[in-house]
Order: sequence, then C-alpha cells, then structure tokens
Amino acid sequence: MNAELAARLKSLIVATLHLEGKAPDSIGDDEPLFGGGLGLDSIDALELVVALEREFQVAVPEGKVDPEVFRTVRSLADWLSARLPAATGELVPASGGSPATRP
Amino acid sequence: MSSPRIAVTGYGAVSGFGYGVEPLWRGLAAGRSAIRPLSRFDSTRYRTHLASEVPGAPAADRLGRLSLADRFALAAAREALAHAGLPERLDGPGAPLTGLYFGGSTGGMLESEGIFAALLAAPGGALRARDLGHLAAQPTSGPADAVARALAVGGPVQTISSACASATLAFGNALDALRTGEVDLALVGGSDSFCRLTFAGFNSLRAIDGVPCRPFRAEREGMTIGEGAAVLVLEPEERARRRGAAPRGYLVGAGAACDAHHMTAPDPRGGGILRAVRAALADAKIDADAIDFVNAHGTGTPHNDAAEASMLRELFGGRVAELPVTSSKGALGHLLGSAGAIEAIATLLCLQHGLVHPTPGDGAPDPALRLDLVVGEARSLPSARYGLSTNLAFGGANAAIVLERAG
Amino acid sequence: MSEVVVTGLGVVGPFGLGREALAQGLAIGEPRTVEVEHGGRNRPVAALLAARLTANLTALLPPGAARRMSPPARFAVAATRLALADAGLASGSDTAECGIVTGTAWGPPWVTEQLLSQILLKGPDAASPALFTESVANASAAQMALAIQARGPTQTITQRESSDLIALAEGARLIRNGRCERVLVGVVDEIVPILHSLLDRLRALARPHADRPERARPFDARRDGFLLAEGASVLVLESLRAARARGATVLCRVHAAVAAFDPSAPAHDWGSGGIALATTLRHGLESREVATSEIDRIISGASGSRRGDRLEAAVLSALWNGRELPPVVAPKGTSGEYGGGFLAAAILALAGSPIAAPAGFEKIDPELGVRPHAGPLPRPKRALVSALSAGGTAAWAVLGEP
Repeated sequence: MNAELAARLKSLIVATLHLEGKAPDSIGDDEPLFGGGLGLDSIDALELVVALEREFQVAVPEGKVDPEVFRTVRSLADWLSARLPAATGELVPASGGSPATRP
Repeated sequence: MSSPRIAVTGYGAVSGFGYGVEPLWRGLAAGRSAIRPLSRFDSTRYRTHLASEVPGAPAADRLGRLSLADRFALAAAREALAHAGLPERLDGPGAPLTGLYFGGSTGGMLESEGIFAALLAAPGGALRARDLGHLAAQPTSGPADAVARALAVGGPVQTISSACASATLAFGNALDALRTGEVDLALVGGSDSFCRLTFAGFNSLRAIDGVPCRPFRAEREGMTIGEGAAVLVLEPEERARRRGAAPRGYLVGAGAACDAHHMTAPDPRGGGILRAVRAALADAKIDADAIDFVNAHGTGTPHNDAAEASMLRELFGGRVAELPVTSSKGALGHLLGSAGAIEAIATLLCLQHGLVHPTPGDGAPDPALRLDLVVGEARSLPSARYGLSTNLAFGGANAAIVLERAG
Repeated sequence: MSEVVVTGLGVVGPFGLGREALAQGLAIGEPRTVEVEHGGRNRPVAALLAARLTANLTALLPPGAARRMSPPARFAVAATRLALADAGLASGSDTAECGIVTGTAWGPPWVTEQLLSQILLKGPDAASPALFTESVANASAAQMALAIQARGPTQTITQRESSDLIALAEGARLIRNGRCERVLVGVVDEIVPILHSLLDRLRALARPHADRPERARPFDARRDGFLLAEGASVLVLESLRAARARGATVLCRVHAAVAAFDPSAPAHDWGSGGIALATTLRHGLESREVATSEIDRIISGASGSRRGDRLEAAVLSALWNGRELPPVVAPKGTSGEYGGGFLAAAILALAGSPIAAPAGFEKIDPELGVRPHAGPLPRPKRALVSALSAGGTAAWAVLGEP
C-alpha cells in the first residue's frame, strides 16, 4: 500500500466527515472505518464517495457501494490505486483541499 | 360523549396524470405509470433522469408571484371545494370556520433555485422585485398561505414539514380539530413541485432508481420523485348531511410515532411505523383484522420497503399473505411532503370503487417480503370497508391514517 | 381532556445558554447583537443576534453526532438537554414516549445554501448526502429524538412567525387528547447572511439611521422593522397529572390556543384584517371558556414591523372593544424575531420574570395607542400571547400562572 496515498486518504476522511479533533495519522491502516471506533455510518460512506470522486477524479460505480472497499484505509487505498489515471499508481497531485471545479 | 364522525366530502388533485381526480383514478386503476423522462430542467449531469412531472405545468419563468407548488395547490383546492359543493370563497356571514392543514417539503424551492444561483455568484447584485418575491416564496408555508388567501380561509392555517410524513401528520391535527369543534371545516392536503435540490439530494444518497421505481419488487433500487398536489375537504358528517353534501368516505383514525433510529434509514423492523399504525387503529377503534387493504408508503427503496413489509407482517401475522397491498408511488412517484394527501385520495377512490389499484413497476414482487402485492390489474374488493395508508419519513417520523368507505 | 403545564425550559440564544441568561436580558430590555456583513452591498452592515457566537454548545451535544448537525439542530439538541435538566428529567425512561413538536420559520438556511451552492455552482454530483439529510425542516426534531431516544409522535411546523405558538398548540393537543403524557416543544431558527440580506431587501428589518441606533421598536411611532434572531427554546409540556405525580415544578399552565388567518395579507407582509382576526379570536376564547376580563397581561408578538405592529394593535383594540388594555409587554424588542426567544420570554413572564420595555422604545404611535409597559408588574395570572405572521397566519395562546 502506498503510504502517501494512505496519509492523504486519512486526511480526506477527517476533513470530509468533520471528525473534529481527530488526528488523521491516528487512524490505523487496518482499523475498521465503519462499525468501529470512528462511528461512521452509511451516509458517511456516501459522503466519502463524493469526496473521493472529486479529489481523485475517479468514478465510483453505480448501484450499491461495495462495503468491502470501504472497510479500512488499506482496502480503500488498494481499490483506489487500481483506478488512478497513471497505470504505475503515481498520484494525481493533491488539489490542496478544495475539490477540482468541473466545467 | 363520543366524538363526531368526520367525513370527507370533496377532494381535488394534480399529479403526473394531469389536473383532476378523474385522470388520477383512470391512471391508477388501469395500472399506468406517470413516470417519464424529466423535462423540467436538464438532467444530463444527474445520476438519474426520470420523474413524475405534472404534464402541461407552466414554465417557471412565467409564473409571476405564485410558485408552481402554489398553483398546484390552488387547482387542487378549488376542485376539492367544487366537489364538496362549497363556494369558492369561505368567508362571509354564515361561513364555516375553516382550518387549513397542509404538508409540504419544497414550497417555492424550484423558483428560488435559479435566483439563488445568481445571488450566490454575486451576493451584492441587484435582484428584480419578482425574483425577490420568488425567493421569499421559498418557505414551505407558501402553498398553504396562497390557498388560504385565495379561498379566504379564516381559521387556523398550518404547514407541517416533516418530510415524507407531512401530509399524513396534517390529517391527524385536522382530525382532532374537527372532533373537538375547533373548526367546522378543514382543508387538508399539500403540494410539492419537482426541483433540483430534492432531485440532486436524493441522488446523492443513491436513493433514486435508474428505472421507474419498483415498490416491493425483488429488484428494486430506489424511489422516483413525483410532484403535484392534493386537497381534501373534511367536516363532521352531521354538518355535511345538514347542508346536503354526501360523504365520499370517512377519516376514522390517525396515529404517529418516531423511530429515533437514524437520520435517514428507517428502523429495519419498522418499529416506529408499527407504533404509528397501532395508534391509528386505536384511534379508529378498530382492530388490525378490520383493515381490508393497505396503501403503503412503498417508495421502492430497498430499506423502506423491507422495513414496511416487516411492520405489515408483524401487525397482520399470517393474514398478510392475503391482505392486498399497493403503493401509489409506483404510478405517481414520491410526492414527498404531499405524498400522504394524494395517497389518501387514492385510498378513498379504491374504497369507493371496490378496487385496489395495482402497483406499477417492473419485476416480480420480492418473495422475502411475503406480501400480497397488487400487480398488473386492479384487485376487485367489493366489500372493502377500511383502508390503511402509511408514510415513513426521513428523520424517522412515521404517520398512518385509517379511511372508511362511505355507505 | 388533560390539562397541560410547562415544567421545564431550555434556551440557547443571543444571551447565552439557559433560561436565566435570557431572563436577565429581558429584565434590562437591551438586545444583544453582533454585526453581519453581507455581500458588499453599499450600505452599513446591520445587526443581528447570533447565538452561535456566544454559546459553547459542545458539552450539551452527543459526542460524534454533533459533526453532522446543522446549526439549528445543535441549538435544538442543546436546548433540549437544558430543558430536560430544568424539568428534572433524564433521557431514557423519562423520554421514551415523549412527543416532539418543533416550529421553525426558515428551516436550516446554512445547510440549504451550502447544498444549493454545490448543486448550482459545481454541479449535481457535488451535492453532499450528509448536508441533504440535514436540509429538511424536521432535521432538528429528528436529532432531538435521536439524542434522547424519544419514540412518540413527532411533527415540525413551518408557518413563519407563528410557528412557535402553533407548535405549542399542537404539542398541547397531543397531551389534551391523551396521545402523550409529555411533549417537547422546540422553536428553532438560524441566521445566515443571505437570509439577512433577503429580509433586508424586503424592508422587513430594522434599519440604522444617522440620528438613532438600529433597534426593534415594537409599537413605536418610528418603528421600521424587526431584529433578526436565532437560537432555540425547548419547553417540556406535561399533563398536569403526570407533573403532579412526579412532584415537578410547574412554570405555567397552557389554557388555550387559538389560530386564524387574515386573507387580506399579501404574501410577505401583514394585512389589515384586524377586526376579523379579533372576532375569530374572541369566539375561540369563548369556546375555550377564557374571558378577556380574566386576562391581566398581554405578551405581544409585536416585533417592530410597521404593518405587523399596526395589525397587532388593531386586533387587541378590537378584542377589548376599544377599552383600556391590560399591561402589554413586547419581548421581541429585546429577544428579536425567530429562534424561540419570544416563546421562552412568555414562559418566563408567567414564571415571574420581569420583561422590561425594550430599550428602543421612544414614542407612542398615536395611530396604535399601545406602548410596552414601563415599570415593575406583578406576576401575571393569565396572559394572552400573540404571534401574527407576515402572509396572514395568526396564532395566540393563553398561559396561566402555575
């Protein structure tokens, strides 16, 4: 798993879901995101999807969001790496916190 | 002393089948769907592209001061009064003290959206007076106020905005007001117009099906949004007979309860709606056994339909396998705050005609739900006496009413 | 039919947290305001009352849930906790069967604005699911129910400036007709600059002048609009039986509620149908066996609006047949319009709190002939509380001493 991607995901999770006072690096790579200590629910999952789509310019497929993908930061990072524009897994530069504006 | 029986003496509706109760019933009874590709605005960038829009509704920029929701409400209210044999204005000497009890979600949101866009982009910019009027018409109380003003209502006017349970809750308030003599006559209903905020919002929750909604079907994947208005005239039966008006049906019970489970997802076991239904039955002084069919909330979302089916199985036990269930949303889509009002009319029409209208939607009923869903053709039920109508809302508000056939 | 009493009051508002803070503010009659900037318009910034800037709500909100709550939901849940504490109740078995009725004039404008910004400026796919779930007017009621696990009937009233008294009426109805023994009645509103700007453009708000400070001046000859407020007040309503059974302190009784509509009102202003409103009110009071001769206080919803206060004065004058009115207090001059401050002030008045004449009052308007009472008053025995809306709705309540 790409450490930089994991760190970016953790920051995105904290910012998007307004987890005030939670340090991103305190989220474990293998910590269950849902049904665990973070107290995230189905709406948080959808919210994350919107944020991921904008931040990483990927499309999350229609229909039910597969819960397995969102189980941990690691599972999310793995899923994302396979879908990022550059085949080698190089990252799209971070947009600095504000989602890219689509035309 | 027992409280007076409250009759429904008139109703009016605007729906995806057009203006009037007649096209509404024709469409429902024939099992047709009023769900089509949406045309109100460009749906290209939305996840889904269907809705049940009112055909022939005036374009937003030609509306002047009244919003589309206001206009739907006025059309429905006027039809209801005419149906009830009442004059167009409810003032003057000898006029009944009339209350108006509406449910709504959107008010003038559609009209405001374009203006909001301009305001957000340039907050200090000039606003045309008419635009200002539209923005200010945005409160959900708009349709109730517009109807009260046009019809010269003099009694209590209130709007409930509890998402999908709004209009059904309004019935509860009106029922009590009539029983206690707080008002002589009540107009109950609601109006909602299709707008971007709700369309984008429900799509963001992935709660909207890509095909026309399929209530209680195995393959269901979400709701379809609808629009329109419905207004019913209610009064004590004795008062109706004295003035020579025939009851079209009776509102015999209302109940409400909260899930306190989650902000959007219903309690999977339908706990809140079960309590609401039990309260409505107790209010009607009848047992669950007396219910002949159910006009369910039936949005077509996986969770709602499952929760509601769970409630129906719990309430009716083994009998549920033979208790006709339908969802008007299969035909009309989900009218949000006003859903309960148009569904009440649908329930009354079913009682009058001795027919339970079918639930449009592709695919077989979900066997896991174990319901007797009416599909394909209307189900003949000539002896049907009591219909139950249910609504489960965002935020866990639940409401139910029991309607009785006239005669 | 059960008698209805108020046994607790929680307030989140410009004066801070808790009913005592509001009581102190009302006793002085000076509003607490902050300034708002809006959109670069070429006029001085206007004042508003901003609960969120003065209150630290964190300790009152369920950990973890607060992050998804809109500002009104936070106000409402915090006020709920304060109300329950005030009533000597805890969440759990005390609240499991509780009904919840909320009233809000504008719903959650910040959330709505954010959502519309996303949809209209960035595109529909930018819509936030979390914001959408908070954008419904009943989100506050839903959050209250979740916070205290209340499973009774719930409804949210959105009927403009009368939302507070209609919510009170519907809450009382649930108890009177036996559906609930206990109901929480919440009134909540939130200010955002765009709302302020809109109301200002409609000329609804008090304006600054060179020669006098910007103030809400109920009944004043030079009144020119109301002061926008935000916050939440939550009342605990109970049947008298339930209150007595647990030895609760009763703050006041809710004797009656009456509502009416004035069809002469344009959509965003008050009308001129004072006589008709007074007639409907009189009949309503008579049928509920309340005589105007028993009313020794008017807690008026006059807010400083030109036509609203005129209509209010016309209704009162007609109701009393042109005779002298009992003493009138006008708390909105201090607590502003919206956000529950008015309903809380009414309860406080019945509980014995003094409501000073608003600091902005200078001169009686001869056309109205009403002025907020200056000087001390004994606790009222029976008060008529009024809330007339722009757009035509009118609502009243009769509150009585404990």
